[in-house]
Amino acid sequence: MAQNASTLFEKIWDSHEVLRKGADGPSLLYVDRHMVHEVTSPQAFEGLRANGREVRRPDLTVATMDHNVPTTPGERRLPMADQTSDLQVRTLEENCREFGIRLFGMDSPDQGIVHVIGPQLGITLPGATIVCGDSHTSTHGAFGALAFGIGTSDVEHVLASQTVWMQKPKSLEIMIRGRMSGPHAVTAKDVILYVIRKIGTDGGAGHVAEYRGQAVSDMSMEQRMTICNMSIEAGARAGLVAPDEKTFEYLRGRTYTPESYEEMVDAWKKTLRTDSKASFAKRYEIDASRIAPQVSWGTNPGMTCDVTEAVPDPAEYGDGDKPREDSARKALQYMGLEPGTPMTEIPLDRVFIGSCTNARLEDLIEASRAVRGRKIARGVRAMVVPGSQAVKRSAEEMGLDAIFKDAGFEWRESGCSMCLGMNPDILMPGERCASTSNRNFEGRQGTGGRTHLASPVMAAAAAVNGHFVDVREMDMPDGTV
Amino acid sequence: MERRKGGSRSMSGNGAVTSGVIKYARDNIDTDVIIPGQYLKIHDYAELATHAMEGLDGDFHSKAKDASFIVAGRNFGCGSSREHAPIALSHSGIKAVAALSFARIFYRNAVDGAFLLPIEIGEDAYEGTSEGDVVTIDVKAGQLRNETTGKRYEIKPFSEIIGKIIDAGGLFRYGMQQKQQQQQPES
Repeated sequence: MAQNASTLFEKIWDSHEVLRKGADGPSLLYVDRHMVHEVTSPQAFEGLRANGREVRRPDLTVATMDHNVPTTPGERRLPMADQTSDLQVRTLEENCREFGIRLFGMDSPDQGIVHVIGPQLGITLPGATIVCGDSHTSTHGAFGALAFGIGTSDVEHVLASQTVWMQKPKSLEIMIRGRMSGPHAVTAKDVILYVIRKIGTDGGAGHVAEYRGQAVSDMSMEQRMTICNMSIEAGARAGLVAPDEKTFEYLRGRTYTPESYEEMVDAWKKTLRTDSKASFAKRYEIDASRIAPQVSWGTNPGMTCDVTEAVPDPAEYGDGDKPREDSARKALQYMGLEPGTPMTEIPLDRVFIGSCTNARLEDLIEASRAVRGRKIARGVRAMVVPGSQAVKRSAEEMGLDAIFKDAGFEWRESGCSMCLGMNPDILMPGERCASTSNRNFEGRQGTGGRTHLASPVMAAAAAVNGHFVDVREMDMPDGTV
Repeated sequence: MERRKGGSRSMSGNGAVTSGVIKYARDNIDTDVIIPGQYLKIHDYAELATHAMEGLDGDFHSKAKDASFIVAGRNFGCGSSREHAPIALSHSGIKAVAALSFARIFYRNAVDGAFLLPIEIGEDAYEGTSEGDVVTIDVKAGQLRNETTGKRYEIKPFSEIIGKIIDAGGLFRYGMQQKQQQQQPES
């Protein structure tokens, strides 16, 4: 094996390692981009203030408010009805003003979910290290960046020093061979749900995953963001895709794309890939052509099956592993499901199309295919929450808002919304929701709420039918809407 | 203003503490059941703690009166990067979580703020510990002793640096200590 052969992850790591303590680390890593939001930053700024520290690189730090902003049109102003949210949003405004950080506030045309606006504004760059006090920071890995979530103590550390301590994770290869079957019906969301189902919610623990193979090369940037986004749900520290022409083209000419971008692209082409002789500590291989539309039935993203399957029997699911069987039994109890019930026969109350996983323009276009000319089923309440104001504007220019509204969907302002139940968009106890978000944990979308994870087109089709359907068999318009 | 770092009742990376056990015999106890998202707006840690484990166990706080340890399965703390998760447990009186494995961000957050000890245990200790047992977690000896049953189990030792960070009372205090040591003239 060639001595200097490295994985993409190792190359980015090595080029950002400021120092290492002893042979085995931990290492101090330089941070190229720090993204900040209202929920995980207040105590970090408070810590800076209490110790008389400044923000080391305000020019490399950006902030937005996304987690608890209202998404109801007309209610996006201060004071907000929820006083604790109001305080958190105001605190972020004050902190950004005091420490000189660029803020995309509630009234900014660039506001949106932090992991949607980073790439959209050209702040996310290949080969960069990107951190944010949010586990879905892994999204930015779609651009060949090393991007991971950190807690508030680390947010304070990065604000103060522009560095973060970390034990070097290992390299994990997730090879997705072949091509996805069913254009528009089987999506990147189905691929990542299938991957998590196969490797488990801790299958990537201690590793940085690099997604490779034909199916990944074929994916658009927005699809790659969806798979990298959910790397954390497989326990991985981060997810990566090596940058290619699609990557470079996506970032060209965006608001904050660097002036020397083309020179940077030339350099990235030479360096930002895994050497052919590099070795991964762990490998998984998936055949994309076998993946069907996926729906989760349980209370973690690994508890997922094909839409054509039935709710599993916990004993079969456990397959001799008692804790796994117990977890499945408790999950079914929480979800109010009986083993053997076909996934397509579970009636739904709510549909949520949104979140940093699936609220980009392509997601909304794909969802609209299942909705156009149809009405949502009786008794279902459905909403679309675009990932950013820019996504919302583009969608409206294409007339997508009209397609959704005509069908009976609510068309909202941008934010995290019902992904995590921090703003008024929540499920009521017992309500069952088809959701394009990333976590089906108990209570995630509201106390007692029952979440089924699915792709945007699956969620949209479910809204129309009142239950999940196999979208491969649904009559949908081809081409662009 | 009082510095917030460090759990209110955190234990050292070297000591031995004896207390009762709250057992959650399941894998993937996630951050959303440890502290649901709707409470992430709460800045007062004592108030935050009143909602700890609300999504999983309504009796958690009454159990925590006599028990400072949680024993759980694999991948404890999976999900969000919210530091509120170890903080809420710590301020509910939890000094250590002993689990088969941890999600990395939770582990890191627990150590960074020295909120609680994340102790990695084997199947033997997991199976051999029940709700209500009294156990001693002895980090220095690398042992979990079940005082109720008299059995002893090995725990995975902390790496050197993690032990030091916990002893210092968190990442920032550790960093300040290092700085002070560097500034002292050589003798």
